[in-house]
Amino acid sequence: MKLSRVLFASVALALSAAVFSQDIKIGYNSDQSGGGAAEHGLSGRFGVEAAIEDINKAGGLLGRKVVLVNRDDQGQPPKSIQNMNELIDSEKVVAVIGPTNTGNALAWLHLPQQKKIPVISHVATGTDITKRYEKEPKNYIFRVSMVDREQVALLVAYAVKASKTKKIAMIADSTGYGQGGIKDVTEILKLHGLTPVANEKFQPKDTDMTSQLSKVKNSGADVLIVYALADANAHLMKSMEKMNFFPVTVGSWANLASPFVNIAGRKLAENLIFAASVTESSNDRAKALNARILAKEKNLPIFVTAAQGYDSMMLLAAAIRKANSTNGEQVRDALEAVDGVQGIIKTYNKPFSKTNHEGLGVGDFRLAKWKDGKVVDFQDVVTKSITPADLKK
Amino acid sequence: MFRQPHTYALPAAVVLLVAATFFIGNDFYLKVMFMTGVFYIAAAGFNVLVGYAGQKSLGHAGLYAAGAYTAALLTAKLGWNPWIAFVAAGAVAGLCGIVIALPSLRVRGPSLAMVTIGFGIVVEKIVTEWSDVFAGQAGIHGVAPLSLGAAPFGMREWVLFVVALGLATHLLMRSLLHGKYGRAFLAVHTAEVAAESVGVSVYRFKVLAFIVSAVFCGFAGALVAQQNQYINSDFINFGLSIFFLLLVLFGGGGSIYGPLLGAIVLTLVDAFLARWPGLQHFVYGALLLFALYVMPDGLAGAVRAAGRKLFPKLHEKEPIPTAVAEWQLQRSEQLPKEAPLLEAKGLYKAYGGVVPTNDVSIAVKTGHVHSLIGPNGAGKTTLLNILSGIVPPDRGSTAFNGVDITELKANEICALGIGRTFQNLKLFTDMTVLDNVLVGLHPHLDVGFWPCMLGLPLARRQEREARAEALRILAFLGLLDKANDIAGDLPYGVQRRLELARALATHPKLLLLDEPAAGLNPQETHELIGVIARIRDKGITVLLIEHHMDLVMAVSDHVFVLDYGAKIAEGTPAQVQANPRVIAAYLGEETAETGVVSPLSAVA
Amino acid sequence: MEALLQAVLSGLAIGGIYALVALGFNITYNTTKTLNFGQGEFLVAGAFIAVATVLLLSGKGYRGVLQPEDVTVFRYLVGFVAAVVVLGALGVLLYYTAVRPFVGAVGLAWVMSTIGFGIIVQATALGVWGPAPLAMPSPLGNDVIRFGSAGILPQEILIFVVAVVVMVALDFTLRRTKIGKAVRAVAHNKGAAALMGINVPMIVILAFVVSSCLAGLGGLLVAPITTASVFMGLVLALKAFSAAIIGGLDNPRGCILGGFLLGLIESLIGLWHAELREISIFVLIIVVLVFKPEGLLGRRIVEKV
Repeated sequence: MKLSRVLFASVALALSAAVFSQDIKIGYNSDQSGGGAAEHGLSGRFGVEAAIEDINKAGGLLGRKVVLVNRDDQGQPPKSIQNMNELIDSEKVVAVIGPTNTGNALAWLHLPQQKKIPVISHVATGTDITKRYEKEPKNYIFRVSMVDREQVALLVAYAVKASKTKKIAMIADSTGYGQGGIKDVTEILKLHGLTPVANEKFQPKDTDMTSQLSKVKNSGADVLIVYALADANAHLMKSMEKMNFFPVTVGSWANLASPFVNIAGRKLAENLIFAASVTESSNDRAKALNARILAKEKNLPIFVTAAQGYDSMMLLAAAIRKANSTNGEQVRDALEAVDGVQGIIKTYNKPFSKTNHEGLGVGDFRLAKWKDGKVVDFQDVVTKSITPADLKK
Repeated sequence: MFRQPHTYALPAAVVLLVAATFFIGNDFYLKVMFMTGVFYIAAAGFNVLVGYAGQKSLGHAGLYAAGAYTAALLTAKLGWNPWIAFVAAGAVAGLCGIVIALPSLRVRGPSLAMVTIGFGIVVEKIVTEWSDVFAGQAGIHGVAPLSLGAAPFGMREWVLFVVALGLATHLLMRSLLHGKYGRAFLAVHTAEVAAESVGVSVYRFKVLAFIVSAVFCGFAGALVAQQNQYINSDFINFGLSIFFLLLVLFGGGGSIYGPLLGAIVLTLVDAFLARWPGLQHFVYGALLLFALYVMPDGLAGAVRAAGRKLFPKLHEKEPIPTAVAEWQLQRSEQLPKEAPLLEAKGLYKAYGGVVPTNDVSIAVKTGHVHSLIGPNGAGKTTLLNILSGIVPPDRGSTAFNGVDITELKANEICALGIGRTFQNLKLFTDMTVLDNVLVGLHPHLDVGFWPCMLGLPLARRQEREARAEALRILAFLGLLDKANDIAGDLPYGVQRRLELARALATHPKLLLLDEPAAGLNPQETHELIGVIARIRDKGITVLLIEHHMDLVMAVSDHVFVLDYGAKIAEGTPAQVQANPRVIAAYLGEETAETGVVSPLSAVA
Repeated sequence: MEALLQAVLSGLAIGGIYALVALGFNITYNTTKTLNFGQGEFLVAGAFIAVATVLLLSGKGYRGVLQPEDVTVFRYLVGFVAAVVVLGALGVLLYYTAVRPFVGAVGLAWVMSTIGFGIIVQATALGVWGPAPLAMPSPLGNDVIRFGSAGILPQEILIFVVAVVVMVALDFTLRRTKIGKAVRAVAHNKGAAALMGINVPMIVILAFVVSSCLAGLGGLLVAPITTASVFMGLVLALKAFSAAIIGGLDNPRGCILGGFLLGLIESLIGLWHAELREISIFVLIIVVLVFKPEGLLGRRIVEKV
């Protein structure tokens, strides 16, 4: 009696394992609970899951179901590395979408490169991420996100035009994200023939930047470029309020996250101008995705990341179809050749090539700010005067 | 011939591990094995500091960082050979271990925790902020992995390397901790003052424990940096320090196998719960909360207790012989009789307004039994503490056997030949009777650190000889049959004898006994007289503090009397008994009928 | 000059938080020779309970977003009461599960168990509220009060005032009331206190309740300034612990002094070189301990041989 049950169970298990192994696994490795970037990680996952739902509804890929294997790296490099090992070696995923933190990406980039698994970064914006293996015959790292270099090009263009004294200061957090951004800002300022008059740093969890701001004030700068995450930027604004010092302040897309307006308060939040790509009201597809995710999850902290996650998955699906295989190398090659893929943010026409692994560029970005608790496009005399030539990078 | 099960189990385990490495094709599982090994190596070293020497450090992430960044900087920035860089990583970490040791030695308890936490955080901040050198959060990549020939290690090679390193670590730890050094660390942990009094330099051993723990944590850091080919400041945080502590405490400190069990269980929990971070946090928290309550000696203790019940045969200790030779001191250690042995001149010690030692001068002659008597608070114990080096005198000098010992530390004085027992017992309560005596033999085991760690024949021979002598000392005091008992479990009278045995093991020329009869019943006190006489016959001079007048009168050749810190009389027992000053201060009147002295202020 | 004033004012405010939490460490250390290594998570719990209470009173559900007008003084006070009640209960639970089994045992078992308890508290908060920080606008408004060109938030003044009031009250209780005497007796000698008829277990539980409430109070006071985040506890508690150690862990006044001192030093060094702030504090702590292991106002323990 018992033996036959055991036999039945094992056969069933084996069969289901066999069936399960037919599924196409896509790995997701991001911060979803660790802190600063967790909201990006969560929102991104919602977007990827929505895309996978759409793909499976339309029949899947290569006749097989697509399944997401989710791992939370809690913003810690050792964990992120361990997740990559698990996803690639144990779960045998076809590709990985992630991570959120630039620092984590830098820690494990060599793994997918060596193991020939394509990666699309849907959040992490550090310029180095796609550049590290640029010179290799095959670069396995792609990105559909607001790469820092391109963001900074827009920000600096605005800063240079907006500054009356041509004295521009920089302030950033001490993480790989902040310091990487500062590096880009310095280099692009140089292309404009300028050097920053102050370069200040703070800890990601700091709440009082008055001492750094005093130094900025003393340098005579009238424009400040900020590179840090939403909560720190909010505290920066509060410190500015304490000192009653309000230079023209521009920052990165990180300020799209709700902690920025929640912590700084609606009025204060309006003082920061930042770069953005898409918002939930930019086009019909965006509105639809937003509504759909809200219906399911009730809370969508950052729409942009969800959109980028959705588009990353769509591009991967297109590549898998084009390569007609799940082999990592073939999918990678196909990614560089995909064309005409409809995403949320835009239609991707030959987004990637041997020399360009960035799905989004400065042409897709614009400036925005918070107004009455909502993100709106930002236009003024200065923005109107920016020409493509100003977007040096 | 007595063979420990270890001799068979170890090769079997190694064969299993190596086989597993070749069978498991999944790189992720191999990575988990690798990390287990890395954490084992770190925990094994850390165990020496926390489990054995009892110094609870909460900053060892700093030493891990030292090793990791040394390996990273040397290979990535300076292009060193990765093997040499690996070794250098351990060395640099060891040096940093000295840096954390020095301030830590001056504090204890929560302040020690704070100093080590501070150290860990300072290192964390340095590698985060000093970006020019350490590249902060951006990190250093291009760290060269170890390689054989042209090919860098693949995951399989890393696991085999870590198994080899782990094996080496285990063997080194085993031979180090099962002998003289292990006992010395445990002694420092349990009773520092006692350890010092039997010749163990507490200072040196604490620093040594820090260095050993630092070197192994450094190797662990280097392994991680070189395997990942990358390191950044996010790897170093307070949580890592707590994790090291957890590895040792959860696994079971004070045991060779604790770190292994801790590393295996915790790494597996971490790796296989990773997909449910919420659950993983809860499990981790629950482990911390309940594990030590359920298993106070950690996993190793629980396994050992279960093992003892299930396989009693495997846990038998080496059998004790029923009869041993008579214990003798070496001829060279015996001095000519009647020669002046100890001369103290004008010793003075004050604590604020209290002066327990007020210009005391005494001279002790070889081969005699001297007693020191006086009312409570007369300063007798303080005098003994000064003579044995535990307390430095404010003024005055002491010469022992021609050497000025006034400025020397307790362990140095012990090495010169003064041994002592304590008024409040200071046994190494968790160790066996035999081990307590073996600690006493410490000053005469001159085998050094490296021979002990490498298990060289010299070290093993000395250990066997020491064990044989310890058994003879136990037999001399009638404790032979209790050799394998735990000291803390013994009845009080037996414990007192054990402390005496431990003091004798230091081969004292002069033995200081602080109230050896305290708490003994009349039968035991009577036996003590015989014991002291036998000790004197072995050629050891004795100076004892006592309140039991019958003991004092029966056994002493010479008596000193202290009152309010000053010597008020000395002489033969009869002379002192008749001295009116002594009678007034301490002894009381002789009653007419019995002629027996009734002590007025003596306390039994 | 204004920057200096700014730094001093901010330093005193954050110092007040450190002092409150440090005092909590002192109370349990004195009575049981243990302290709550998960105290940081209790800070977090206090902050979150207060935020959730105000949210519920504003009708926004416990995971909503607070706007400045939602946080009235009344609601903040109710939040305070809720936080104190919950944290008191948490303190009792902590004592029974993590401390009592290990009091008197050799070794660091209680360090591990209190850390574990803290981790469970943190995991619970994470599960309920998620990883994002929750904003709590100050009940006293967010308008900066100016002294010259130095600004101070009304919340910072509130922190300082509350901290001083609480400390004076506790100091008075310890020195002048019967129950304060009982606590000090237990701290000196448990056995003798029991023999004198003092209900020692009750006093010990009281100590943990007070200590936990102090941490919770610190959390809800600091949340309007730094936001309530599940991860804010560790650093704050570590600094409060450092403050207690340099002031003298066994001396309540020492802990208070240590707290304010640390806050000031941190702020002033931050003014000079922001990135050196934490390194300098901890180096300073190590230096102080090397020369005075018992802390500035602590009592030297002499082992009787």
